[in-house]
Amino acid sequence: MGLRNRLIKWARIKSPWIIHFDCSSCNGCDIEIVAALTPRYDVERFGILLRGSPRHADILVVSGSVSHQVAPRLRRIYEQMPEPKFVMAVGACACGAGVFRDCYNVLEGVDKVIPVDVYVPGCPPKPEAIIQGVVELIEKLKAA
Amino acid sequence: MSELEIPEITIPVGPQHPALHEPENFTFKVDGEYVVDVEARIGYNHRGIEKAAESRSYIQNLYLFERVCGICSHAHTTAFTLNIEELLDTPKPPRAQYISMIVAELERIHSHTLWAGVAGHEIGFHSFFMYLWRDREVVMDLLEAVSGNRVHYAVNTIGGVRRDITPEVEKKLRKGMDILEERLKTYRTLALEEPTLIKRCEGVGVLKPEDARRLCAVGPTLRASGIKHDVRANDPYLAYDEIDWEVVSYDLCDVLSRILVRIDEALQSVYIIRQALDKLPDGPYKVRVPRNVPEGESVMRVEAQRGELIHYVRSNGTDRPDRYKIRSPTLGNIPAVCHILKGGYIADIPIVLASIDPCFSCTDRMAFVDVNTGKKWVWTGEQLRRYARKWRG
Amino acid sequence: MGFREEYEQIVEGLKQAIGAENVVDYKIPRERRIFVTVKKEAVVQAVKYLAEEQDFWHCSTITGLEAKDCFEVIYHLARDHAISLSLRVCLDKEKPEVPTITDIIPGATLYEREVHDLVGIKFIGHPNLKRLILPDNWPDHIHPLRKEWTIERIREELRKAEVIP
Repeated sequence: MGLRNRLIKWARIKSPWIIHFDCSSCNGCDIEIVAALTPRYDVERFGILLRGSPRHADILVVSGSVSHQVAPRLRRIYEQMPEPKFVMAVGACACGAGVFRDCYNVLEGVDKVIPVDVYVPGCPPKPEAIIQGVVELIEKLKAA
Repeated sequence: MSELEIPEITIPVGPQHPALHEPENFTFKVDGEYVVDVEARIGYNHRGIEKAAESRSYIQNLYLFERVCGICSHAHTTAFTLNIEELLDTPKPPRAQYISMIVAELERIHSHTLWAGVAGHEIGFHSFFMYLWRDREVVMDLLEAVSGNRVHYAVNTIGGVRRDITPEVEKKLRKGMDILEERLKTYRTLALEEPTLIKRCEGVGVLKPEDARRLCAVGPTLRASGIKHDVRANDPYLAYDEIDWEVVSYDLCDVLSRILVRIDEALQSVYIIRQALDKLPDGPYKVRVPRNVPEGESVMRVEAQRGELIHYVRSNGTDRPDRYKIRSPTLGNIPAVCHILKGGYIADIPIVLASIDPCFSCTDRMAFVDVNTGKKWVWTGEQLRRYARKWRG
Repeated sequence: MGFREEYEQIVEGLKQAIGAENVVDYKIPRERRIFVTVKKEAVVQAVKYLAEEQDFWHCSTITGLEAKDCFEVIYHLARDHAISLSLRVCLDKEKPEVPTITDIIPGATLYEREVHDLVGIKFIGHPNLKRLILPDNWPDHIHPLRKEWTIERIREELRKAEVIP
């Protein structure tokens, strides 16, 4: 591995930028994701920054049980992200539809649409669990 | 200049509003900096809960309706359990009513501080956002102490509540209320004196009282237009008629007015919780209820944080409902917000949309289409916000 | 009891305004709740009377549902956010149509579109009866809240229409 690549990898591990996309989630996971970014948990001190555009992000954080209407938009957002990209499914719904399993308008889980790297279960997961998910993902990055 | 034909431009906004509530899509027609027309397209969040409810038992539905919305989950289960209890003719025991009311008010404080923070973020007042979200953690800790969970509390059940408030928790609640009262009063002063907030919010997004009535606005949006309607006072449920509190309303009709209504309402919630703890009656907090619900129908309205929430149930004598209908407050406010946006500036779109509390957050994205050339470009919410700040100076 | 007489007066006024034969029945289960059933022909007149004369200017929502022998549309109107009046109208199963009330209460626009989407009831005269809730590529003939559409049947039909793989 050349110096350039090592440098890029180091930077990526030190400062993974995330984008958050709500796929018909109930907001429970979303407010916990935002809570993880605010003073009590403050993941920004580890260089994790929430971005507004998928083109700036390394990690796509998805919550919710993916309705038919939103699925094509999710795929498009994933395609807009630069390589290498990673996906984190937050919450029981994103992992496998959760309580909405038998509803007619949901696909059962994010992995039906795009590949997922880390699953964070819980309804909703606590901010600590979400941070743990990011840590796992960084471990995966290191190994890659 | 008048000979110059200015093309009308259409701007679709959304649906990527990852953040909270219902991801919606708004199509704006703009003329220069002005918004001429707005059309809303919702349903990105449609999961089919009403249909699923028909094939689940009432107890299973309790958990389903808790997850209609993560921010007003308690309001939904309150409406649901009160509805079913009315059909069963077994009201919640008095202690349960008070406990449910305390959790409802805690939830209101959490939601209003969350919203005020998001509003601060939308206008570029980031420290306001961070401070509010720091203080919001006080409520989250209290909710965790009362219910065992930060977001979906699962406090209500048919025939009462699932958990009692112990003396230790009561002590924690009282201490938390003191901290919150002091902090909320600080934010109230901030909203009234801080030039950043006042300059950006005063006179922006005006909803006149007659329009609010005509378009059936609900909740803080309605009260910020000077109409003093609150379901808790006008159609009391739980124990709200035994508590001494005030309906908050401001008649500035703009975004600032909506901020003030919400901060004052959170303060009222603090007073309600204190009184409820003083008056907390003894006795059981739960009664046993039968599984099957007799045939009938019932309408229940609850003041959720965003406004009037209405649930309608039709039962058929089995353990499953025949039809269950939910109307959440945001849907009621969409016609009103579309009306407010017309004639406003593009730069005001984020704060005006946020002012009805549809829980917009950081990652919304907009696509701009030039009708004449068919050229399309995409703006993220962040870029729009930056544009808004620059343009308004 | 005071409230019962007051509410009965509201219903009496409604009977005079739209004709007693058009009010099928009514019930007052408790304080602040009224349920009235009217005939389809008189529904616009009834809403007009209630909104303009009786101050029921707030439309909380509109419920559409499939009963055994008809489709029901229920308008939940409210006075001062206190009294909730549910105005019910039964529609023919073959031809579920009802005139719009959006010219009387403009706030009801989205509620009518929602019922149109999910139950398939046509609101005649609605200015913009487009799809609101269901996905763009959803087949037009599936109205998920009708009883004939079980979740399995909807899934099967969606697979046929290639909405889901």
